[in-house]
Amino acid sequence: MISSYTVGIYPRSEELIEATRKNSKNLSSLYLKEKKEYLAVQKRAKLGYVCDPLLEWDDIYRPFSKLKSVKLSALNRIYETNTFYRRLSFDGPLDDAGNIVKSSLAVSLLPKNRTVCIADPYTFADVHLSTKYRKREEFTLAIAKMLRKEIDALVKSGFELIQLVAPSIAYNEKVDFGIVKNAMEIITRGLKAKTILHFYFGDVSKKIEKLLDMPVSGLGFDTTLTPLSSIKKHSFSGKSLAVGIVNSYNTKLEDKQECVTDLNNIISKTKPDEIFVTTNFDLQYLPKDFAVRKILRLGEIARGVRSA
Amino acid sequence: MHKYFPTQEIGSLKKPSWLLSVVKNPDISKEDKSRARNDAALLNIKMLEDLGLDVIYDGEVRRVEMYEEPVRYIKGFEFAGRVRSWDNKYYNKARITGEISYKQNFHGEEFKFIKENTKHDIKVPVTGAYTLADWSYDEHYKSKEELVLALAKNVIRPLVKDLVKLGAKIIQIDEPAATSHPSEMDVFRQSVNESVKGINAKVVVHACFSGNDYESLAPQMPEIKAQQYTLEFANRDSWNLGVNDKERKGYDVLKLFKEYGYKGEIGIGVTDVHVDRIETPKLVRDRILYSAKALGDPAKVYVNPDCGLRTRSRTVAFEKIKSMVEGAELARQTMNN
Repeated sequence: MISSYTVGIYPRSEELIEATRKNSKNLSSLYLKEKKEYLAVQKRAKLGYVCDPLLEWDDIYRPFSKLKSVKLSALNRIYETNTFYRRLSFDGPLDDAGNIVKSSLAVSLLPKNRTVCIADPYTFADVHLSTKYRKREEFTLAIAKMLRKEIDALVKSGFELIQLVAPSIAYNEKVDFGIVKNAMEIITRGLKAKTILHFYFGDVSKKIEKLLDMPVSGLGFDTTLTPLSSIKKHSFSGKSLAVGIVNSYNTKLEDKQECVTDLNNIISKTKPDEIFVTTNFDLQYLPKDFAVRKILRLGEIARGVRSA
Repeated sequence: MHKYFPTQEIGSLKKPSWLLSVVKNPDISKEDKSRARNDAALLNIKMLEDLGLDVIYDGEVRRVEMYEEPVRYIKGFEFAGRVRSWDNKYYNKARITGEISYKQNFHGEEFKFIKENTKHDIKVPVTGAYTLADWSYDEHYKSKEELVLALAKNVIRPLVKDLVKLGAKIIQIDEPAATSHPSEMDVFRQSVNESVKGINAKVVVHACFSGNDYESLAPQMPEIKAQQYTLEFANRDSWNLGVNDKERKGYDVLKLFKEYGYKGEIGIGVTDVHVDRIETPKLVRDRILYSAKALGDPAKVYVNPDCGLRTRSRTVAFEKIKSMVEGAELARQTMNN
């Protein structure tokens, strides 16, 4: 089975950028208008799963600053990009989690085939701080429990596919896979939704074997950094495979036929249960016009693979 | 006699609000806008002189921003649109759609005006090839290295040569992206060396702090053809007085530069450009004295803010510079006693 979706935060239009800078009176109506536009683009592209473009989110973690015990901290670079996020400090129990992500999404606008993107617990703990959970494992597992509450609420609201973005697992040279596995078990045990652990900002070629052992439905890759030649060395039998073949870090549009050929090749080599054609990460690294072109091209590629 | 601890700015200052309202007003003529820019440049020059800086510029008051300004004048770039820096802050990012080439000396008029209006030493900030490449979408070149070297040889080198022809004696290559990709430091080194090949001027490299405490920069420093690095330290240091390792943890990496054999000057950042709190002259003094000891030679220490001060209000920026100049004087007095 072949499907498609996009990963992460979408870019704001020039009009919306200006409105957020000036805190314009019509900001909420602009957000709504633009969300609808992006949902229409995803529909036009015939993506298998549709997501909220997360236009109000300043970064993928920011909604969690609404938790009582979480404080905003300093700006920090997002890995090696020229974009920054604000570090959060988790200074107390996370009992009030459960509705943070859901309440930050336009759920009523989404079709039934809906997906959502959340940072995985390992990445979350890697890039934030805590004065309460001082050991990495303790912090990661506390985050995993918090995220599970969030995910349960999302699944109840009809989200069928949960993307867990894991750039730290890709970027960090050393990863404690024991902690990752324990955290993922908390997230996925008995969950009635598909879960894709998605890697970008680093080459995970040498980590794929260990990642295949994670209790998730499938794995996703940024193919600009983890080459297809590395992925196809592995069998994905019993797992789903998400191929982030559309590059959100360059305006250059992918060649449709080249991508279709690459994807057909990887399907035949890895034999996954299900394949997803995706962006490699957030489209917010492109201006809106280019992001829209990429979404449409993503759809064309996915349809090309289906018909091949 | 050599003056220890010369003081300098890194480059940018916040533009005066009156200037912004003039330049954004469509009803004001080009000539009047140009006069307003001259007035603002003159104001910054005189402010920096009055505050006692030894090496000055004009606060980059004529430049839109350090990336967008040069890109406007380089053939091969096309603006794609704005991309997020953080939260609601965005920058205009460009695509490279063809061969890169140099069209004109885009800092020439700015430099000539400053030269005519000051007797102080002038340090000209020039955005470096590596940062220009890193912050753009490359749709044309086969690799990042090829793009960086094309920019270094075909744009930055002729620009620097033209500035030197006009009388520039100190050129600062601004490279905020330099250490953001530790695995690309070889490309960065080649980029600076190609940019300044054959030029007869003092070369300063400004690199922002990015994640690994300049550990990736340190091994490259002796191999890069720069006489000085202006770097960020204050924002990782404590606010307590003292010249010991514990209080001056932000400056500890200076020892690493020495270990790797770097023998040139360091412009040490002594004021944090991300906070409004003003460093006291005594704190500045201690940061300077610690750095002089860590480098083993006080003559190698220049004093500057961590980075451009444009993120702070003009009042805060000028207070920080004032305190920095006073701190440098305290450090000189300590050295002389």
